[in-house]
Amino acid sequence: MNDAPPHPTDALLDVQDLVVRYGAVTAVDHVSFTVDAGETLALNGPSGCGKSSTVAAVLQLRRPDGGEVRFEGRELTTLTERELRPLRPRMQPVFQDPYGSLSPRHRIRDAVAEPLRVQGRWDPTGPARVTELLDRVGLNPAYGDRFPHELSGGQCQRVGIARALASEPRLLVLDEPVSALDPSVRAGVLNLLADLQDELGLAYLFICHDRAVVRHFADRSIEMRTGRLVPA
Amino acid sequence: MTRAVWKSVGPAGPTRVVCLVAVLAAVGLLPWLSGRDPALTVLRARSAEQEATAEALAAIRDDLGLGAGPLSLLGSWGSGLLRGDLGTSWVSGTDVLPSVTAGLQVSLGLMGAAFAVAVLLACALVAPVLVRGRGSAGAFAAMLAAVPEFLLATVALLICGVWLGWLPTSGWAGPEYLVLPAIALGVPAGGLLGRLVADALPAVLDERWVELWRGAGVSRARISAAALRRVLPPLVPQFGMAAVGLTGGAVAVETVFAVPGIGRTALGAAKSQDLPLLQGSVLALLALGLVAGALSALARRRLLGPALRDAGLTLPPARPVRTHPAVPLTLAALLLITIGWGLLRDPFTVDTSARLLPPSWAHPLGTDGLGRDVLARLGHGAASTVGTAAAVCALSLLLSLALGFLPGVAAGAADIANALPPVIVGILVAAAAGPGTGGAALAVALISWPPLAAHAAALTQEVRASMFLTAQRAIGASPWWILTRHVLPSVAAPVTRHAVLRLPGIALALASLGFLGLGAQPPTPEWGLLLDESRAYVERAPWAALAPAVALALLAGLAVSGAAYAEGRTRTRKGVRGESGEKGTPVDV
Repeated sequence: MNDAPPHPTDALLDVQDLVVRYGAVTAVDHVSFTVDAGETLALNGPSGCGKSSTVAAVLQLRRPDGGEVRFEGRELTTLTERELRPLRPRMQPVFQDPYGSLSPRHRIRDAVAEPLRVQGRWDPTGPARVTELLDRVGLNPAYGDRFPHELSGGQCQRVGIARALASEPRLLVLDEPVSALDPSVRAGVLNLLADLQDELGLAYLFICHDRAVVRHFADRSIEMRTGRLVPA
Repeated sequence: MTRAVWKSVGPAGPTRVVCLVAVLAAVGLLPWLSGRDPALTVLRARSAEQEATAEALAAIRDDLGLGAGPLSLLGSWGSGLLRGDLGTSWVSGTDVLPSVTAGLQVSLGLMGAAFAVAVLLACALVAPVLVRGRGSAGAFAAMLAAVPEFLLATVALLICGVWLGWLPTSGWAGPEYLVLPAIALGVPAGGLLGRLVADALPAVLDERWVELWRGAGVSRARISAAALRRVLPPLVPQFGMAAVGLTGGAVAVETVFAVPGIGRTALGAAKSQDLPLLQGSVLALLALGLVAGALSALARRRLLGPALRDAGLTLPPARPVRTHPAVPLTLAALLLITIGWGLLRDPFTVDTSARLLPPSWAHPLGTDGLGRDVLARLGHGAASTVGTAAAVCALSLLLSLALGFLPGVAAGAADIANALPPVIVGILVAAAAGPGTGGAALAVALISWPPLAAHAAALTQEVRASMFLTAQRAIGASPWWILTRHVLPSVAAPVTRHAVLRLPGIALALASLGFLGLGAQPPTPEWGLLLDESRAYVERAPWAALAPAVALALLAGLAVSGAAYAEGRTRTRKGVRGESGEKGTPVDV
């Protein structure tokens, strides 16, 4: 299944020989893959296999110990934190824990508006943009005045997606986005993600350990076990 | 996992050692730190009639070895210490070691008796919780724990010794001399121990295994014993801290009852600038505290067994004692009215024709030994006691917020600060800088910031580990944005609340230093000082002593009820919370 394209530089995200170590333990051992614009690549594997470490290293939230991460043709691993900052919005994460990924002390509206403020794009049209984003992920904009603990897990996950969209990304890194949700809520969030992909041309790196979801949702899939890619 | 444990404990270790060495060095360098010329003091003490000529002073300086620099001073003190030589007293010219050991023997006897009192009291407080199965004696026990030893000692001396005449009130000549000091020293410690156990027990008795045992027909006595066994190990370190608190309390209690123990020796040495004797006795007090801490660690280890040493046994969160907001509000209103009334009056006018008058309309709380109005002195004293406490509190808060971002430093410093009672730090500061409000404030500030900093550090770690901060980095937020918009707001509010709750406690610590003559100096109307001054004529004018005593007791009550009320509120408000930090750092090892 892992049929890498012959010209890896054309890909939106091109990861080569990624290595992540924690002391003596190698959590990610020379992992390579690519994600093209507009496609969904599923990264599949049991818990503890190094999926989350791969995510952190791809997003440069934890600097990898080896290998290359090329995004939109630029090598990220050699950039300083300051050089990286303007590039970060193009590649946004959505995390597994819907409550933990939102600050408990900020209203939903402020959470979604924060990328606009941080990236210097907040102007008089800002509030309307936030309302539009909430509407886009299927949330009643009236929820904007609530706090995360007043929302359900599925609703919080939609807020997390709206916040990611506010940065106008090309790639979403979805770290088990539906694992913490009820099966009934799960389908709604997956459908939303599929709609957004069609509409905005987003690429997804989709981390998952549920094969049924992978088959249904992903264009291609790769499998990880104890830090290495294995033939599917 | 072991890495994580090491990381959380590791950095605290070196800081602990650094702090301990710093304290020891401060003790060793006292003669140099004090900066004043002690030769004159020594000369006066040794031979009052001799002229203070330049030659005589120079001879004494040579004799004391004060000409040398701080490093050689520290070196010679340290090497003497290793040889078991603590030097000779500047005042009496005798060896320090025998005085220290004699004082230590008396103090150990007193502390042993006090510990027995504490254990008896703790048992009495815990028994009703075990018998009823639920409920808590927490509020009453917390009240006892908050009463400072010097206050309790003065009141016990007043009631049992002076009014009822049951027991001797001063000296050390037989077992009956032990009773009052042991009670004064043991009751606050017993209140603390009893409160810790009584607060933890109801939650433990709600655990599943208790239900199971009851269902299986296990007797209530056996369940109670098992519950106690379950509660004790995590609390043992706190017991060690209570024992450390005894060393500080001993100074006040021994002073009040004129017991010739190590605490009184230390205080006397500080006041007469007899630094070698002070060094020796402070060292003995520190050693007592460290030994108590080590013994409690050993006891915990024995109770838990080697297998459970690392993970320990955490207690279920104690259910806070609900306090009605009316309690702290009433206490605060009473204090404010008294203080406000007193502030309108003049605290300094000396009227020798109106000495030691009983309460009347002209003087609602009577007059003191110089004919000054007690109510006025109480009101103005609040400004110096509570005002200084507020300043100390604000300073500790700022320091803890600044240092809270270095968790290891904060935890290590907090450990040492917990092992140092404020009285001992106060004695050291007073010896180095001379007694005064500033010195007392410095002493209390030195040991009140680390617990706040440890709290700030714990909160910072919790916030930093949470996923929403990772999301912040992913949207391209700068470290400054993350710090000011997310980390500080989540840390500052709870730490500020914690600091405000410590305010009455800090005021009591300042008052205890004032009481011992290490803080504000006469004629400043400081509460501790008021109590101390009134001790001299307590038989003729008990109201002059009772007024500041009641004010301090109200303050202690405010400290306890305010804390209980705030704790109850935060517990009920917390509600739903995600397991932040669970998946915090993506470590899939």
